[in-house]
Amino acid sequence: MGIKGLTKLLADNAPKGMKEQKFESYFGRKIAIDASMSIYQFLIVVGRSGTEMLTNEDGEVTSHLQGMFNRTIRLLESGLKPVYVFDGAPPDLKKEELAKRYSKRVDATEDLASAIETGDKEVIEKFSKRTVKVTRKHNEDCKRLLQLMGVPIVEAPSEAEAQCAALCKSGKVYAVASEDMDSLTFGAPRFLRHLMDPSSKKVPVMEFEVAKILEELNINMDQFIDLCILCGCDYCDSIRGIGGQTALKLVRQYGSIESILENINKERFQIPENWPYQQARHLFKEPLVFENDEQLEIKCTPPDEEGLVNFLVNENGFNLDRVTKAVEKIKAAKNKASQGRLESFFKPVANATTPLKRKGTRCMIGAPTLLLKSKMLSIRISIYSRHRQFGGLPLLCTEQSGASLHGVPFLA
Amino acid sequence: MLELRLVQGSLLKKVLEAVKDLVTDANFDCSATGFSLQAMDSSHVALVALLLRSEGFEHYRCDRNISMGMNLNNMSKMLKCAGNDDIITIKGDDGSDTVTFMFESPNQDKIADFEMKLMDIDSEHLGIPEAEYHAIVKMPSTEFARICKDLSTIGDTVVISVTKEGVKFSTRGDIGTANIVCRQNTSVDKPEEATVIEMKEPVSLTFALRYMNSFTKATPLSTTVVISLSPELPVVVEYKVAEMGYVRFYLAPKIEDDEVDEVVEQPSKKSKAQPKDEDD
Repeated sequence: MGIKGLTKLLADNAPKGMKEQKFESYFGRKIAIDASMSIYQFLIVVGRSGTEMLTNEDGEVTSHLQGMFNRTIRLLESGLKPVYVFDGAPPDLKKEELAKRYSKRVDATEDLASAIETGDKEVIEKFSKRTVKVTRKHNEDCKRLLQLMGVPIVEAPSEAEAQCAALCKSGKVYAVASEDMDSLTFGAPRFLRHLMDPSSKKVPVMEFEVAKILEELNINMDQFIDLCILCGCDYCDSIRGIGGQTALKLVRQYGSIESILENINKERFQIPENWPYQQARHLFKEPLVFENDEQLEIKCTPPDEEGLVNFLVNENGFNLDRVTKAVEKIKAAKNKASQGRLESFFKPVANATTPLKRKGTRCMIGAPTLLLKSKMLSIRISIYSRHRQFGGLPLLCTEQSGASLHGVPFLA
Repeated sequence: MLELRLVQGSLLKKVLEAVKDLVTDANFDCSATGFSLQAMDSSHVALVALLLRSEGFEHYRCDRNISMGMNLNNMSKMLKCAGNDDIITIKGDDGSDTVTFMFESPNQDKIADFEMKLMDIDSEHLGIPEAEYHAIVKMPSTEFARICKDLSTIGDTVVISVTKEGVKFSTRGDIGTANIVCRQNTSVDKPEEATVIEMKEPVSLTFALRYMNSFTKATPLSTTVVISLSPELPVVVEYKVAEMGYVRFYLAPKIEDDEVDEVVEQPSKKSKAQPKDEDD
């Protein structure tokens, strides 16, 4: 799933391309979400104990509905406008990866059977999670649920991630939310991680901006795609022995996979036979997505209360009180969504002040280890700049790595 | 090097009380003009802009433009330790991780130093264009606070409409509706009790009362409040701070038709491979 080690690579090499944001600040924004991925997560986590899952009277699993229902309400309540994108047919190139996953699932099923015999609960849970598969029925259930809730859905012709990115590129949504770094490779201009983590976890949303990342890595989009392929993606193998850092170095040095292949030591690095990197690149660059406006009508509609009660309570055994309350919440959220954002009136401008506190020390309140570090830094400064008092010309600007105007000596 | 000495220390205390509920962390900017702050609330609906001009300080030294990231709750905790008549001095050294608040009692027999850790805050500075507002209402601040408080017991939003007759605040809730009209009234004994309405064109806008109520925390700062309204612009609720500056709150209006979807501007410059759909 995703691109191996990309998060760390970016954190090390393009820290300005990622930014922590508060969940609330996405209020009023349309966000594209890969639905299939979410359903998979729900099937693994929601209401599970051992091999038991939430089911309705007929014994059909309802974890995905429960999860989807609650999460969507949470998003709506915060004023976000989710747009769920469903997977279409997988591209040919992904079949290999899917086959791998399938065989892993088969293995897990066998392991599960033997674990049930021995009765070790932890092992049972572990393997039963691995046997999870998102079926067409799960998808259809969720689509129906979302439609009843009045949340827009988009059915992608192929990969949902690619469609999300396309929606974001054309400005139909503000950002793509996913845990899968693929979105960046597909070129989603703005990509959010941890948006859907439970609020109890208190993880800030991490916002990635592709343009800034490229600027900081000092490569273009095509090279970034090559970098991701080298790191390891879903569509083809990567070269053994080349990880993120090496890949970045090679891409910067040679500019493309073709050129890298010509130049690297073939003895040291084994290049996979018939390596389909070109097809993988094509999939990232020109994925099969809908561009047409008619196929992509994103419209929020009022929730269908009767339909929801019928579907959730009568067909799937949800508690009636809870569903009615939830519908109230959706309606209330609708009202909230009409609040305007300040950014639609005022535009950001550059701020020409320098922080008094030097950047980079990251001294948060109440963090003793960091505090120590910053103290050490200030000692260093006092050695370098003797004139910290009046009239001196302190040259401690080199220590500052803030937003702008730094590096200019100032008169104290 | 930074040293700002404010004789009327209570002003700073009141300013903090006025903004700390709306904004948790913010950068204070210091320049030759004065001590200022601009910050948005976490959901980017409201903005507070504070300015204390340098002339208002007894002593004002700021060698270059700097910003100090502070947690407003912590700052408020420290300022609460200052007496109401105390003189407050804000001090900061270049390259330091802390800011010092010094409180001097009026007769100079007690001096307290409170040092607070600074924070790194990434915040966007918004450009606020000068605008001609369709209507400007000046009224007693306590009256405005009372109206907001009363209306919020009935509903969540307030419609502020200015017409020739006066300014009308109305709300609607589950239990019923409420309408309060304030007429222009300049024949009062004290000028601060006057209600003055300058109107170029009638205007009517809807706002969330929750935010309005939060703005009225600034009431102790000034006896009057000035509300400026224009269609398609955030409302400005301004409280003057003595003769030296202001606290201004901006609030984005509620949009009537929520299907008005603006195409979001994307930040990408180079990465764009495909053309934008024109007929969106």
